[in-house]
Amino acid sequence: MTKQTFSRRRFLGTAAAGATVLASPVYLRRANASGGEVNIWTYNDFVPKAFKEQFEAETGIKVNVRLVDDQGKQFNLLAAEAPNPSVDIMTVAGHRFLQFIDSDLLAPLDTDRLSNWGNINPTFSESDWSTINGHKWGAPILSGMEVLAYNTELVSPDEVKSWDVLFSEKYKGQTAYVIQDMMSIIMLKMGYDGNMVEYLGDPDKAAAIVDEAKEFLIEKKPLVRKYYDGGAEVQQMFVNQDIALAHSWNGPAAALINDGFPLAMTIPQEGSYGFVYTYNIANNAPNPDNAYTFLNAILASPEIGAAMTKASGFISTYKGAADYLSDLEKQSTSFTDEELANLKFFRAEANEMKYGLVDPAVEAIKAA
Amino acid sequence: MTRGNRIFLSCIYWAFVLYVFVPLILMVLMGFKDSKFIGFPIRSWTLDWYTGVLGNTEVLSAFGYSVAIAVLSTLISVAVGTWIAVLLEGRKFFGRTAVFGLTVLPALVPGIISAIAFRIYARWLGIEPGMGAIIWAHAVHNVPFVALVVMARLSTLPKSQIEAARDLGADPVITFMRITLPYLVPAILGASIFCLLLSFDDFVRSFFLGGYDPTLPVLIFAKLKSGMSPEINAIATVALVLTAAIGIWAERFTRRLNKD
Amino acid sequence: MGYPDMSDETAQGARSNQTKDDLSGQTFWGRLAGWTPYRLLIGLATASPRRQFLVLAALPIVWVLTQHLGPMLQMLRVSLTDAYPVAPGVEQHFTLDNYARFFGDRIFWQPFFRTLIFAGVFTFCTLILTYPVAYFLARHVSRKNQMLFLLLLLVPFWVGEIVRTYAIMILLGNTGAVNQLLKWIGLIDRPIPFMYTSFSMGVGIVYLTALYMLLPLYSALEKLPKSLNEAAADLGASAWTRFRRVTLPLTIEGISSGCTLVFLISTGFYATPVLLGGPSTTVFAETIAGFFHVAGDEWPTGSAFATIMFFAALVLTGTFQKLMNALRKGDSK
Repeated sequence: MTKQTFSRRRFLGTAAAGATVLASPVYLRRANASGGEVNIWTYNDFVPKAFKEQFEAETGIKVNVRLVDDQGKQFNLLAAEAPNPSVDIMTVAGHRFLQFIDSDLLAPLDTDRLSNWGNINPTFSESDWSTINGHKWGAPILSGMEVLAYNTELVSPDEVKSWDVLFSEKYKGQTAYVIQDMMSIIMLKMGYDGNMVEYLGDPDKAAAIVDEAKEFLIEKKPLVRKYYDGGAEVQQMFVNQDIALAHSWNGPAAALINDGFPLAMTIPQEGSYGFVYTYNIANNAPNPDNAYTFLNAILASPEIGAAMTKASGFISTYKGAADYLSDLEKQSTSFTDEELANLKFFRAEANEMKYGLVDPAVEAIKAA
Repeated sequence: MTRGNRIFLSCIYWAFVLYVFVPLILMVLMGFKDSKFIGFPIRSWTLDWYTGVLGNTEVLSAFGYSVAIAVLSTLISVAVGTWIAVLLEGRKFFGRTAVFGLTVLPALVPGIISAIAFRIYARWLGIEPGMGAIIWAHAVHNVPFVALVVMARLSTLPKSQIEAARDLGADPVITFMRITLPYLVPAILGASIFCLLLSFDDFVRSFFLGGYDPTLPVLIFAKLKSGMSPEINAIATVALVLTAAIGIWAERFTRRLNKD
Repeated sequence: MGYPDMSDETAQGARSNQTKDDLSGQTFWGRLAGWTPYRLLIGLATASPRRQFLVLAALPIVWVLTQHLGPMLQMLRVSLTDAYPVAPGVEQHFTLDNYARFFGDRIFWQPFFRTLIFAGVFTFCTLILTYPVAYFLARHVSRKNQMLFLLLLLVPFWVGEIVRTYAIMILLGNTGAVNQLLKWIGLIDRPIPFMYTSFSMGVGIVYLTALYMLLPLYSALEKLPKSLNEAAADLGASAWTRFRRVTLPLTIEGISSGCTLVFLISTGFYATPVLLGGPSTTVFAETIAGFFHVAGDEWPTGSAFATIMFFAALVLTGTFQKLMNALRKGDSK
C-alpha cells in the first residue's frame, strides 16, 4: 500500500486514478502470458501499485521491486554485482548515463521492441542528451528540473526573478541549496555552459570557470543556512520555516505545494537545468524479454504516467498525462513558456572532466 | 549521602528522561498529523496513518524480517564475541595485540566502506545477497561490541573463584559454564541489547547485502525519498510498540522458564 | 527489552545453584563431568596447557582472520589501485596516489580533524551528561526499581537513527517545539535558529550515543560496594573527595569502555551530522561517502581515506585505553 491510499484527503484521487488504470482498454492481452519474473530497482512509488497488480495478473510475470534511494547506491550495487547482475531494470537519471555506460553496466535500448515508445513526448524521447554512442539507453518516465522554490508568505514573486536572491543580504541565513547542482547553475548564471561540453577541448578554461564559480560560492557562504543533499531535507526546512527560499528539485517542491503548503517555484531568468529519470535495462540482465514486456506495458497509457507524477511530484514524460491530474497537481507541474525558454537539459558528455573539477571544488567550499 | 545530593541527582535523571523522550513524543504525535509532512503547526488530525500502517503487509513483513535478522545475528555475535573475550582477557600470548586489533576492526570501518567491502567479499565467498548475507554482515560487525563489553566484565571476575573450582577438580569447560558464564550474564545481556539495536537500525549493510525484501530501515529510507511523512513516524511508532511487546513477552517467558 | 532484568535473575539463580550443590554433585554438569566420552574429549583438549590454549584460540583466530580481516584487506587492496570497479578493457595498476591525495590537499584535513575533535568533544559531553544519571540509577534507586528506571531510558533507542534525527528537527526548528514554547512563555519574539549548527548536531549525536555510555557506566557503578564510600565517610572524607578518590577510580573501567565505544561510533556517524549539521560542520564520513556516491570511479580514493580514518581512530583509542590503564594502575597502588 502506498502512502496516498490511506491519507484521507488524497484517497479519492488515487482511487479514481487506480480505477481508470484498471478500466482502461486491456493493452496487455497481446503480450504472451510468459510467466517468470522481472527485477526492478526503483524509487518508492515509481511503479504504481495498481499498474503492478494488473501487469502481474495479465502477464503472469512477477514484478520484484527493490526500493532504492539514490543514484550512487544503485551504481555501487550494480558495480559490485557485475558482470552478472540480479537486476533487469534500473532507474537512472539521464545525466548519469555515461558513468553506467562507461562501466558497461547498461544495455542499449532497442526501441523497436517497444510499440508504445511513441507515447512518450518527443521532447524527452528524442532529445539530444538521450542518445549516447549512437544508442538510446533508457525509456524516459519522469522529468525534473532545478528550480528556485520560495515560501509565498515570506517572499514576493517579484523578488525571485533572478538566482541572485539566494545570495542577498535580505535573506541571510534563510536559504539552502545542493552545492553540486548550484555549481552548474552558477556557471550558467555567469554565462558559461554549465554542462562544460563547450570546453571539452579546453581544460584550462574549464578549470578557470569552475574556479570562478567556486570562489563565488565561498564568498557567499556566510549567507547560506544549509547545504543539503536530499529532497526530504529541503521540504522539512520549509515546513519548519528554517528557510524562506531555496534551490530545489521540482518534485519535492511540488509535493509540498500539493499538500497545501504556501510554496511556489520558478525558473529564474538566467535559466536552469533539467534532468530525466529513465528506466534502463541492465547489461546481461537475467530476464531481458520480461524487461521489454514490462517497459512496453508501463508506457502504454498516460494514466500510468499521471499516477507516477501524483506520487513523486516530478513531471510525466507521457503525452497527455496532464489530463489526469487535479488542478493543483497541474499547477505544481507546469511552468510558463517564458520560464521554460531558458531551461536546458543536463548532458553527460563532459561529466568526467566536469566532475573531476566540480567535486574537489565542492569539498573546498564545504571546507572554506 | 546527603539529601540535597539525592534530590540534585534525581533532577538530573528526570531532565535526562525528558531529553530522550521529548523527540519520541514528537514522533508519536506527528503520526497523527493530517498532512503529508511532519512539523508544526498541526492544523488537523487523523488516525489514518496509524490504521494504514497496521493494515500494511509490506511494513509488517519488513518489521518481522528485521527482528529475525537482529535476533539471529545477535546469537552469533554473542557466541563468538564472548569466546574471543575469554581468549583475550588476562592472557598473555604472542600476537595478542594483533588479535585484539583484528577483533575491534569491524567497528572501526565506516558504514559505507564496510558495506561495500562485505558485498565484494560475499561475492568472492559465493554468499548470495539476502537474509543470510545480512545476518552474516551484522554478526561480524557486532562482534567487537560484545568482545569489549564482555572483556570489561571479565576483568573484574575474582580469580579466586576460578582457582577454587579448579582445586575442586572441575575441568576448564565446567569451570567456564558454572563460574565464568553466570558471572558474565549481565555483560552478555547488555551486549545483546547493543547488537539487537545495531542490527535493527542498520541501513547501509542491509541495503548492500539484501535482496528484494526490504528490512525496516531500508523501507524507511526508500519512503523518505518522497518526503518525511507522518506515515514514517507511524511506522516507527508501531515498530517501537511491537518491539516493546516482544521484549516484555520474552522477559516474562524467561522468568517463567526460570521458575519451573 | 527486559533483558537486563532477566540478567540479574539468571545470574543470581546460577550463583545460588552453585552454592546449593557441590561443584561435582548430581547436577547436569556433575553428570556431564562423569560421562566418559566427555572426559576423553576434555582430556584430549587439555592434555597440555599448550594444547588447551590452541583449542581455545582456534575459533577466535580463524574468525578474526577470515571475517574481520577479509573485508578490510579487500578495502586496503582497492585503496591501492587506480581504478575500481575495473571497467572492461582497462588495466588496473598499483598506486599510492590515493593516499598522497589526502596528504597533498589541505581541504581534506579540516573535515578529518574536525571529525576527531567533534567525536572527542561529543564523547566527553555524553560522559558528563550520563555519569550522574548512571550514578543516580546505581546508588540512589532501590534495586527493585533500578531495572525499570534503566529500561525507561532505553525505550527511545529502539527508534531508528533517521526517524529520531527528524524528530530533533521538529524539536529545534524555527517553528519547532522549543521555539514555540519559548515564544509562548514570552521569552522571545523571533525564533532562535538552533538548527544546522554544531549545537543541533551535538544534541542529535549525544542522543544517539547516550545509551552506549550509560550501560557500561551503570554496570561499573552498580557493582561498586556501598561500604567503601561509607568507610571513606567515616574517615572524614568530604563528598567530593570520596567521589574523586573512591568512586571515580573504581569506575575507570566503565568510563574507558564507554568512551571507547562512543568515540568509535561517533567517528562513523554519517546521516545525523549530514542532516543536523550546518555549512561549516562537514565531517569526514561525508567526505568519504562523497567518493562513493558522486563519482563511481573514486572508490579507491574513498577506500584510502577510510583507511586513514581507521588508523587514526585506532591510534587514538589505543592511546586512550593505555592512558586509562595507567590511571587505574596508578590509583590502585
